[in-house]
Amino acid sequence: MTTAYSRRRMLQFLGAAGLGAAGLAACAPAPKETEPLAADDPKANEKTFSFASWTLNEEAGKPVVQGLLDTITTKDGLTVNPVSYPYNEYLNQLTLQVRGDKLVGAAQLDIAWLGALAALGKLRDLGDAAKDGGYTSTALESGQYEGKQLGLPWTTGAIGLVTNKELLSRAGITEFPETIEDFEAALVELKGLGGGVVPYAASTKVAQLKDILFWMKTFGCTLLDGDRVTIGDDASVEAVTWYKKLYDQKLIAPDVDRFDARALFGQGRAAIYDDAIVGKGAVIKDSPDKQLADKLDPVARPVLKSGDDPQAQLWGHVIVVVEGEAANTATSFARWLTSDQAATDEFFAKLALPPTTEKGLASDAVANDPFTKAFSERITKTASQNPFWRFPEYAQMETVIAEQVQAVLIGSSSPADAMTTAGEQVQALVK
Amino acid sequence: MTTTLDTPVLAGEEREARPRRRSPLDRERPAVRVAAWVTIIVFGGFALLPVYWMLATALTPDGKVFAYPPALFPADVTFEHFASLAGNSQLFDYLVNSAIVSGVTAVLSVIVSAYMAYSFSKYRYRGRRSLMYLVLSSQMFPQALLLVTLYAVFDAYDLLNTYTALVLSFTTFTLPLCVWMLKGFFDTIPDSLIEAARIDGASQLRIIHSVIVPLSVPGLVAAGLFAFVRGWNDFIFALTLAGPDKQTLPPGLANTYLGEAQTAWPELMAASLVVSLPVVIAFIALQRFLVGGITAGAVKG
Repeated sequence: MTTAYSRRRMLQFLGAAGLGAAGLAACAPAPKETEPLAADDPKANEKTFSFASWTLNEEAGKPVVQGLLDTITTKDGLTVNPVSYPYNEYLNQLTLQVRGDKLVGAAQLDIAWLGALAALGKLRDLGDAAKDGGYTSTALESGQYEGKQLGLPWTTGAIGLVTNKELLSRAGITEFPETIEDFEAALVELKGLGGGVVPYAASTKVAQLKDILFWMKTFGCTLLDGDRVTIGDDASVEAVTWYKKLYDQKLIAPDVDRFDARALFGQGRAAIYDDAIVGKGAVIKDSPDKQLADKLDPVARPVLKSGDDPQAQLWGHVIVVVEGEAANTATSFARWLTSDQAATDEFFAKLALPPTTEKGLASDAVANDPFTKAFSERITKTASQNPFWRFPEYAQMETVIAEQVQAVLIGSSSPADAMTTAGEQVQALVK
Repeated sequence: MTTTLDTPVLAGEEREARPRRRSPLDRERPAVRVAAWVTIIVFGGFALLPVYWMLATALTPDGKVFAYPPALFPADVTFEHFASLAGNSQLFDYLVNSAIVSGVTAVLSVIVSAYMAYSFSKYRYRGRRSLMYLVLSSQMFPQALLLVTLYAVFDAYDLLNTYTALVLSFTTFTLPLCVWMLKGFFDTIPDSLIEAARIDGASQLRIIHSVIVPLSVPGLVAAGLFAFVRGWNDFIFALTLAGPDKQTLPPGLANTYLGEAQTAWPELMAASLVVSLPVVIAFIALQRFLVGGITAGAVKG
């Protein structure tokens, strides 16, 4: 069948499609801020609520979190309805649920997502609940958004460098270098090991190239000054130039994201990589080396000049509460889950995720775990939030930067041009 | 069928000695035959390598999945990932949900689109072409845009977390293509057949059900299979519109095996292979209809 479509027909066709799209868009609900219920409103004290958590899906985490829910259910006579989505889809699904007032209760949140969800205007300020919870200041900071404590910290760590002590030792590196210059020299030594070992499995794929932001900070770029994006300044250009140098010298490898880095590291084919503390379990499970756990050593990111503070991106999970029905009950639940000594001990014992309270961190279990202790002291201690997280468009911003850095790596743009473009594009996204 | 009455009945060795019928390929020159086989192997390998890789990953022990350099043939083989499926009753629930949702979507899509396509194909009325384009235009929307709207609509009618929400949303996307596919098929059925039935006194419904439908089985099966596969493979609508009880396989598998820091690749591959089997069997059984149904109407004299 051959049908000829006239221009008029095509315009009708597009008009119909446009009309349909406009009609459908008009049907979509507009978000509105939720007014808090009075503290003594019986609705706010309902005993039944939902708890959204991606950990409830995961093989290792599900029994632990379900066990904690069972404990609180028995203890306080609550009914907690678990809600779960895969991690990669979690924010979108949760946004839909919260936006449509379908989620009544509490939710686990990656600290990077707090700004995006807070923009809906439905989260409760948990400042009062946080006051005497005994949380560390770094942990509390991870749940803050525009001066409000919108999340209670459940676990707090950072994304930092993890090394394989054995490979470092084989390359003659007995002490991890403090400065970038020494770090580069150490990478050259590691390359000398041969056998296809990648000295540093740094992220070079767009999906995870945002890791470079903390190298930029190391070189002195603030990323954001108020609402002014500083990417494009000399420090950021210098950082990307250095990254490109590592790439050209094959000290870092092409096409690597976090999952690739874990795989390479687990196979003993990478000496150093970037990861959060949560990645340890995955690396060990998939490694053929049964002694790998003993060889892991988290280290502070090298600095530009000796004495500078090492840079690391804060990482963690918080519990947020949706304002409205059962909000008081969900707040008490969130506080119990994140600060009760028995609950946090259990969480650490089964999942090795560090607690967020002073007491929890001082417990024997944490203090006697060398990996967690070293991670906290060397990396988390000086970690800071990614400044772009406060914008709901943070993911777009990170992608824009990552694409420009990748353009530099593959040689299609100069560091100066790429960072100027990245800075301009991110600035356009700042509202 | 070319059997004649005077063909002698051959028995035993005589029957075996009779040369087999030569395929068109056999009659070609050797160079052409080689080229044909190379093409088949290359394209077959291209299509089947991912399936083989799934199988190889499913059979590889955890510690060796990421071995470098990757091995095409696993040195160690384990069936533990397949065995672990037996202990996961939730996968069976996902499978049942997928079968229900995809099956109903297929039936509903075929019924609705058959009537629409018949109308578009055999009737001439004002607005017919505009309606056809309007139906097709729904394919032009980004699905994510429709998802938000459908979510609000289903929420308003209290249909979230039901099979109905999934079936209706899947049918929304399958209808346009099914309608156009079947219209092409119905265009190939001569109008004289309909005229003859009408002269014999058949009603319009009788003509559709007793004349058109029996002649259109390949097209209907092809459209049904397309709708079934659309429902079977959908991830984002099934994840968003269905609660834990009604979740289908794609979001179910993601929920089960994809984590924040880790993906259980061997288990995921084993589960994907096992749950693909019903669809593979259905395709093998119905593939002769599929090819005929899709290409019907593609060439018209």
